Amino acid sequence: MPTGGPTGGLVLRRAIRGQRRRVIAASLLGMTHQGCEALVPVVIGAAIDTAVATGSSEQLLRLLLVLAVLFLVLSTCYRTSARITEGTGEIAAHRLRLDLAARVLDPRGGADADRLPGALTSIATNDARRVGSVATVISYGVSAVAALVISAVALLDISVPLGLLVLLGIPPILWLGHRISRPLERRSETEQEHAAHASGVAADLVSGLRVLKGMGAESAAVARYRTTSQDSLSAALRAARSRAGHEGAVLALTGVFIAVIAVVGAYLAMDGSISVGDLVAAVGLAQFLLGPFQLLTYVNAELAQGRASARRIAEVLAAPVTVEAGHEVPVDRAAGQLALRGVTLGALRGVDLDLPAGSLTGIVAQDPAAARDLLVCLAREADPAEGAIELDGTPLTSLDPDALRRVVLVAHHDADLFESTLLDNVRAGADGGTASVERALRASAADDVARLLPDGGDTLLAERGRSLSGGQRQRVALARALAADRPVLVLHDPTTAVDTVTESRIAARLREIRRDRTTVLVTTSPALLAVTDRVVVLEDGAVRAAGHHSELLAADAAYRAAVLA
Amino acid sequence: MTSADATKSEGPAQASEGRTRGTEQSMSGTRPDRVLLPTATGAESLAALRAMLHGHRLLAVGAITVLVAGTGVGLLTAPLLGHIVDLVVDREGAPALTLPLVLLVVVAVARGVAATVGSTLVARLGETVLAALREQFIERALRLPLDRVEAAGSGDLVSRVTSDVSMIGKSVRQALPEFSRSALTIVLTLVGLAVLDWRFLLAALLAAPVQVLSVRWYLRRAAPVYGEHRVATGALQHQLLDSVGGVRTVRAFRLNGTHTELLERRSEAARDLGLRGIHIVTGFFSRLNLAEFIGLAAMLGTGFVLVDRGSVSIGTATAAALYFHSLFNPINATLFLLDDAQSAGASFARLVGVSNLPAERAAADHHTLEDGSVEVSALSHAYGSGAPVLHEVDLRVRSGERVALVGASGAGKTTLAKLVAGVHSPTGGSITLGGVDAGELGPAGVRRAVALISQEVHVFAGTLADDLRLARPEADDEALRAALDRVGALEWARALPEGLDTVVGEGGHRLTVTQAQHLALARLVLADPPIAILDEATADAGSAGARVLEEAAARALEGRTGLLVAHRLPQAAAADRIVVLDQGRVVETGTHEELVAAGGRYADLWAAWSASRREPGEKVPHPAPGADSDVDAPVSPTV
Repeated sequence: MPTGGPTGGLVLRRAIRGQRRRVIAASLLGMTHQGCEALVPVVIGAAIDTAVATGSSEQLLRLLLVLAVLFLVLSTCYRTSARITEGTGEIAAHRLRLDLAARVLDPRGGADADRLPGALTSIATNDARRVGSVATVISYGVSAVAALVISAVALLDISVPLGLLVLLGIPPILWLGHRISRPLERRSETEQEHAAHASGVAADLVSGLRVLKGMGAESAAVARYRTTSQDSLSAALRAARSRAGHEGAVLALTGVFIAVIAVVGAYLAMDGSISVGDLVAAVGLAQFLLGPFQLLTYVNAELAQGRASARRIAEVLAAPVTVEAGHEVPVDRAAGQLALRGVTLGALRGVDLDLPAGSLTGIVAQDPAAARDLLVCLAREADPAEGAIELDGTPLTSLDPDALRRVVLVAHHDADLFESTLLDNVRAGADGGTASVERALRASAADDVARLLPDGGDTLLAERGRSLSGGQRQRVALARALAADRPVLVLHDPTTAVDTVTESRIAARLREIRRDRTTVLVTTSPALLAVTDRVVVLEDGAVRAAGHHSELLAADAAYRAAVLA
Repeated sequence: MTSADATKSEGPAQASEGRTRGTEQSMSGTRPDRVLLPTATGAESLAALRAMLHGHRLLAVGAITVLVAGTGVGLLTAPLLGHIVDLVVDREGAPALTLPLVLLVVVAVARGVAATVGSTLVARLGETVLAALREQFIERALRLPLDRVEAAGSGDLVSRVTSDVSMIGKSVRQALPEFSRSALTIVLTLVGLAVLDWRFLLAALLAAPVQVLSVRWYLRRAAPVYGEHRVATGALQHQLLDSVGGVRTVRAFRLNGTHTELLERRSEAARDLGLRGIHIVTGFFSRLNLAEFIGLAAMLGTGFVLVDRGSVSIGTATAAALYFHSLFNPINATLFLLDDAQSAGASFARLVGVSNLPAERAAADHHTLEDGSVEVSALSHAYGSGAPVLHEVDLRVRSGERVALVGASGAGKTTLAKLVAGVHSPTGGSITLGGVDAGELGPAGVRRAVALISQEVHVFAGTLADDLRLARPEADDEALRAALDRVGALEWARALPEGLDTVVGEGGHRLTVTQAQHLALARLVLADPPIAILDEATADAGSAGARVLEEAAARALEGRTGLLVAHRLPQAAAADRIVVLDQGRVVETGTHEELVAAGGRYADLWAAWSASRREPGEKVPHPAPGADSDVDAPVSPTV
């Protein structure tokens, strides 16, 4: 997906076009429904006129029958149309969610840069729903227009001047209502912001409950929430006042309008240009017409929201990828030799490094940023600004990122565990059988972790593995990385939260399990560095020294300071 | 009436929107093995509601009076229109129309004014009570014993504080005004019909059985589907956060396919339940159409008969028909909102359930600690009915002494730390802080005396200064800077985009784990308790960060008693005394030198740790056999 991705308009059009037939069917049914609704007051007027006023029971029965048919049709049409049209929204939203998920999880990345997970989640739920509801309101809009036309014809048929009065009177009334509601919208927004903020503060305090209790700060936290809650209350009251004012004004305006219609109609009825039934129908129609007009305003507001949401969705879908996909696929039995040539990116300034196939190399970076950027390059989460990295002689940039990750696995220090069982987490990246999983669990001492859990390896882990301690989490993440058994494995600080004894145990087993496979340990842990074949020291973004851990310890004071403390 | 149908067709759209919006964050991580926090019974909820309204009786009476007056005035519209019809039928002259016109305008304006005032009062009442409710809830929630919250999972509390509060908020803001107005309109319209002629009232009530049946049909089907829909959207949201939050890991392990499939399944479930919900809502309104027809036909029939007999005028018959017509909208709204009322009631019960929990004993002021000494004797503890984690532990820490707790995972270090900090109550034995029994101090008193910093970091959303002030609300900027400086965090704090005013935490500037723990230590300095416990507070920071934090921790502990659960041995070695725990018992205690010389368990640990740090030329001792029989290969730097 190059930069020329979809625009907001295209997202909207696609959402609607994908379901053209449903939209058309729902619109036709909706039009019939609204038409029937418009006819109800007409029938009431006719009943007053031709049955109640004349005493013709035959006529009454006939009109009641007409009313029955009318209700049957309008009810059926309403139900069917609403089901189709609301369903359209649900389906459109679902499709958008899938598109967004596919884009965000794309191996080439890009969509998640600069966007918090919460923001992306909100786009995939709230914005997708709003765009979906555009597909819904289109049919509502069409039916509202149909209702307007039918009522207009009925009104003009009763009396041209009265009809014109109603039709020309409603838009200014709605315009006035809209003018009045403008400050309301702003205040409602402020109200919602405050409410969301109060809710956020509450959730934040509750999530940090352990920390709050740890320092005995409950009272301070309660006081803080009270302030936020009171702010939210005053915003809510301001908005409520506006809302009430708007509501009252609309009520008064409509009331006066109906009064004018009734009296003008009465004049016309008195001079015989219309019948009493016509008068009743006209008043009824004037009342009814406010509905479709309101519906149109609602449709308009939804469209505006939908457009904004579609724009946000389009931005995600069209986000430029961080790494261009190459088309080549690494050979099946990759040797796993890596070579870095003058790699420059962020804190890296021309790193030259050879990682022979099957070697175990330690990398000590004084600057955490350099370590991070190195990992980013090796994982192809970004490509070097200058220089190149080669895997078995092939530049990484010519490889498909997903295929590359079949050979090279970069396990970040803060790698996330997922909400499934411990074993499922470990198995996630493993293509091999249970044997490799068993070995990995043992090598990372994650089997000890499993033993302490209520259901062993089948224990369900909480979101992000939060039900485990930091050290346990690290061991499970390490087990997962080892179980994946890739020809090249890059580990970043895999044991910082693990106790000393376990760490040295892991170091020894790590060397064993990765025998003849290329492994890189980016760490300053002496226990891990001690088992490496060679240690490379990065300083100021370039390789400053290289050698065996023990040689460096003996010869290099800076190294000693960095590693031992 | 007919404007009713416009809102009706919007009904499902708004309904489904409201439903998904209100509950987005619910259901995160609720698991069956959890002991959820209590939910209030109907009677308890009612009592709580009465108590909350009690203080606002005047407001409540005022709101109801104004709403009744406004609705009553509004009901004059139909008879006035009927009167106009009569004037036309009786061929009165045009001048006779002036009075009804003026009256109609007056009614319209009066109705508008009453609606404005009434709604404002209802909102004031609702919002004020809601604010009191949520504040009371938070106050109680934050003071719940930690083990109670942990037993329920923090998701339970979070979902109550977010989705339940917003569910009630939505009801107060949207449903309550409409509900009260519609219900009043219905009641008063029925009264108006009875005034026109009691037989009109009977005719109108003919529609009631269908409405009752429809509502029962609807509530029975809708409640479970909406419930499932809430769960499904919650699960979808949860899965999105899980997959999107861990997207780097997803890519690295090539789990795109699995996660896309998981998301698709969740999204499909949400969609299908949404569709079922729509099916039910539309079926409901469609049934109500039948009630509308029955009522309207009965009204016209009654009018016909009564006019025929000369009991009422054509105008009155018109008024009755128009009355009934104008009832459609309020009836639909009221019945539809019953569902919201039900949900709000459930949410209310969940909030009251927590608010009604007994309050923790407040900190007793008359107990003052003599010093910062800690004395633990014969302390035993077991979680729930599980096996004991601590056995008869005796430990004496002098005021100002720094003691490191060392031992393998599961040795009971963290449990001991939590017991001393008052997080749990021990199952046996006693804890004395500064000469005062912890039981007498009460949980709140203990927490004031003892600060506990664990490896769990939380940066509170807001400015950095606000975060620090949680520890000491009255601290001025100077004090905050001094605290940051003492733990060596001032430099990076100053370098933040807006210094101490930088917004941090959720949605703000992201601090590193090291910075977040730095902040926790600065809070410790501000809170300034005589005793502090650091439970692996430096563990998650990575190796470079850990050293910085250990220094910071040492400075933060100056002048107070410190109990450290250490995972890096140098930190333990620097302590005044080391206590080695194994399987819930104290097995060794002494200074670093003493313990190394003693050649026991600590000496083994130390040997293992130093092995990889020796420079060549020195003799490298292999880890002592027996100390850790699991070691596969000798750890040697010369591999």
